[in-house]
Amino acid sequence: MSQQTQHRHALEIINLSIALPNGVRLLRDVSLKLEPGEVRALVGESGAGKSMIGKTVLGILPDTLKITQGEIILEGQHLNMMTPWTRRKTVAEITALIPQDPLTALNPLRKIGPQIVDPLIRIRGWEKDRARARALELLERVHIRAPERVMQSYPHELSGGMRQRILIAAAFAPSPRLIVADEPTTALDVTVQKEILKLIRELQKETGTAVLFVTHDMGVVAKISQQVTVLFAGKVMEDAPTREVFTNPAHPYTRALIAATPSSADLDRPFSPVPTELIAELHAQVARDDALWQGKKR
Amino acid sequence: MLLRTVLIRLLTTAITLFGVAVVVFTLVRVAPGNPIAMMLPPGATEQDIANLTALYGFDKSLPHQFVIWLSGVVQGDFGTSITLRRPVSELVLSRLPATLELSVMALFIAVALGGFVAVLGARRRNSATEVGLDLSSGAVLSIPDFLWGLIFVLLFGVLWPVLSISGRIDPRIEFDFTTNYYVLEGLLRGRFDVVGSTLGHMLMPAMSLALPLAAMIAQLLKQNLKEELLKDYTTLTRVRGFTETAVILREALRNAALPTLALVGVQFTFLIGGTVIVERLFAYEGLGNMAIDAVINRDLPLIQGIVMLFAALFIVINLAVDLSYTLLNPRLRHG
Ligand SMILES: Nc1ncnc2c1ncn2[C@@H]1O[C@H](COP(=O)(O)OP(=O)(O)OP(=O)(O)O)[C@@H](O)[C@H]1O
Ligand SMILES: [Mg+2]
Repeated sequence: MSQQTQHRHALEIINLSIALPNGVRLLRDVSLKLEPGEVRALVGESGAGKSMIGKTVLGILPDTLKITQGEIILEGQHLNMMTPWTRRKTVAEITALIPQDPLTALNPLRKIGPQIVDPLIRIRGWEKDRARARALELLERVHIRAPERVMQSYPHELSGGMRQRILIAAAFAPSPRLIVADEPTTALDVTVQKEILKLIRELQKETGTAVLFVTHDMGVVAKISQQVTVLFAGKVMEDAPTREVFTNPAHPYTRALIAATPSSADLDRPFSPVPTELIAELHAQVARDDALWQGKKR
Repeated sequence: MLLRTVLIRLLTTAITLFGVAVVVFTLVRVAPGNPIAMMLPPGATEQDIANLTALYGFDKSLPHQFVIWLSGVVQGDFGTSITLRRPVSELVLSRLPATLELSVMALFIAVALGGFVAVLGARRRNSATEVGLDLSSGAVLSIPDFLWGLIFVLLFGVLWPVLSISGRIDPRIEFDFTTNYYVLEGLLRGRFDVVGSTLGHMLMPAMSLALPLAAMIAQLLKQNLKEELLKDYTTLTRVRGFTETAVILREALRNAALPTLALVGVQFTFLIGGTVIVERLFAYEGLGNMAIDAVINRDLPLIQGIVMLFAALFIVINLAVDLSYTLLNPRLRHG
């Protein structure tokens, strides 16, 4: 109790496990913390459960998946103890999402303007004029030229990079205190990726919003985050400050991930994918742990 | 660009109608059954038959007959009904409103019912409710419209006779119609007894026509909704605090409805085709009912007139669907 009042984390996940209805675990005892104003990268290969953590934080886990254990605490409030109605309100009040694919993240049948403005009216209860002004301000901030015209456009009239900038503007517009960015650059051209990454970093610094940044690219981790959580098969392999992870990675998987990233360390070193033997060994380890856990449960 | 589209559209319409005309014209004349013989009492002389045959032009060659008929049609003259002895255009137009009102009511029911089930199924996706709804719509779909008609007649006409099973309106109601749009005119003139009675008579035939289409809409629209609900724009809406129902109704529904619209257009023409038998079943005085009489009596001009009207109707509906599709889809509107 005193812990909470002493220091309130932007986000705290404690021993989170998520399972399919048949009992197969997709997340295994995941814990992580995010301080206000901090960027934490969540890194791991495809299928590691990165998006699932993001979804859990945002309270949008599919009904088919069950939280079998653990706590998700947003600014001291226990999300998984809330009624769906309160949870929706709390999540909308505190968080925002920058999604992966800008091509499907805007409603193709609605103009850009209302898609940014309406949530501001709804979440923050602002007057229409104020919401519009805020939307324009943010669109200008993400370097959209002729924002008035863009607000009148439909998504299909804009390029992928432009849409992602619009989505970033929409995410920051209600001044959320936590943003989940789920691989926001993966679907974009390499040149556009850099620009988007820079934009998110700048806006994050200006606003002091905490960001949970999901990625599978250690290069991106190095650029954007202060803290890293390395995930494998729904299990945390390593959790450390970014600088430390790169200078002195504790886990062999982290080392392999860094080695597998061409842009991260010295450029002369040849590209080396994560060794399959290591992956097999880690999977075996996870399976052993699962067996143990099953035994304990019985 | 637009002009070209319109011109092409008009041309295809003309070609379609001409093709339908040729086929129907030939078919009804090649099919067995002599309309003249059926008109005359038994024991008519050869001379009588020859006279009447000449009167209706059936003595001429088939192409010649067609040319005569077509030149009439171009001037708006579809010939004279052999059995009813009145201009085909007048007869057909007097029955069109009944069929239109029935079809539109059936369409409304199908869209409302199918839409509701689709939204409910999408809202409760991956649950027992969804499975139950899927099974029901599958079952409903497997029963054709005329069988639904029979089921309704048995249920609400015989076992529990609460609905009238024949006609278009209670004959005891006194009302001098200036048009044949009973529902519309009743509404406009504030005679709700007329509206009520007409709707009551339409309910069972309309339901029979609507149920299979409703099931089809329920299945397709739900599938489309489920696809939309996986897309990121719905996820974003959820994160912004909208309930799942609001996400479906406000964001996903319009996107999911677009591909469904094409199906509804095509199926609506089939539904109108279904009126032929269903109207007969409920002794409903519409075009379809008239068509069956015309076929039984080999009333060639009347059959042709009815088929041409149906064909024109189908073309108009397809046009309306294409147009609304373009209007609802900004990608096409601006492109
Ligand atoms: N609704 C679901 N039902 C069943 N399994 C699911 C569901 N959603 C995700 N999974 C499984 O959970 C695991 C983690 O998925 P998640 O989407 O979190 O991975 P990820 O780390 O984000 O990967 P990627 O880099 O591909 O986005 C995967 O094995 C995936 O197959
Ligand atoms: Mg993911």
